[in-house]
Amino acid sequence: MAEEREFKVAVLPCNGIGRLVSTIVRLSGYRIREMRPDQVVLLSSGRLAVKDPEHLVLFEAYPVLVIDGCRPHCASFMCDELGKTPAARLYVADVAAESKLSVAGEKRRGLTAKGGKLVEALAKKAVDEIDRIIADEMLSTL
Amino acid sequence: MADKVCLQPCLGLRKEAVLGRQALYVVHEDLRPETTVLGCGPALNANVQEDVDFIELYPVIAVEACELDCATRLVDKKGRKAAQALRIGDLANELGIDLASLPEHHIDADHPAVQAVAKRIAEQVDSLVRVA
Repeated sequence: MAEEREFKVAVLPCNGIGRLVSTIVRLSGYRIREMRPDQVVLLSSGRLAVKDPEHLVLFEAYPVLVIDGCRPHCASFMCDELGKTPAARLYVADVAAESKLSVAGEKRRGLTAKGGKLVEALAKKAVDEIDRIIADEMLSTL
Repeated sequence: MADKVCLQPCLGLRKEAVLGRQALYVVHEDLRPETTVLGCGPALNANVQEDVDFIELYPVIAVEACELDCATRLVDKKGRKAAQALRIGDLANELGIDLASLPEHHIDADHPAVQAVAKRIAEQVDSLVRVA
């Protein structure tokens, strides 16, 4: 009998600190894991930046969903640096525009319900991508 | 002695990283705004000029969440050495903070644990900064 394959997605949020969007991305990472606990491996950008071997194994094992907070697209850079093409990329500004959510007045040290709406919208968008990636992986094995 | 210090957190996922991150916002925005800059790990890794400048111009305090010391190693990777490395777990022990009792993903900046860690990091900043 064929061995049952594990279908998961590695989520790489930039997890920066400098901007409001850094907080949005960081909290959405945790939310994504809550929404798809059995399908998501949440990656640490800090560990990947220094090529922590244990973390590299996870990065290499699964398709990667990258979430970039701001213009330098640092999570995408990290993925490129490690030689992997992401299965999908999300950019916070795109999700904010698409969902017509403003976070003006929010603070990076802590969000109100207003900022929480963008966290939810980003997590929802990510989960849609995760479901698509897993479906694609599963169907490709049939 | 330097004019400013670069605070460089590990930005990992564990609770210690969350505590460290929040404490650094307090240090940078409230306690020592004139003498600190806040370094962003992924930006430094991606060679964002501002973050490269921070570690080249100022002594670095690496704020670590665990024994992997990713912030220190990232600064090494970019050809510099951190002046100091602080592990949040050690600070929590020194300060009598019960990490298990803290929320997992977000800790308010005015939480006593955040404030205590921030105050302790601010003291380390002072030890590296030129007195005017």
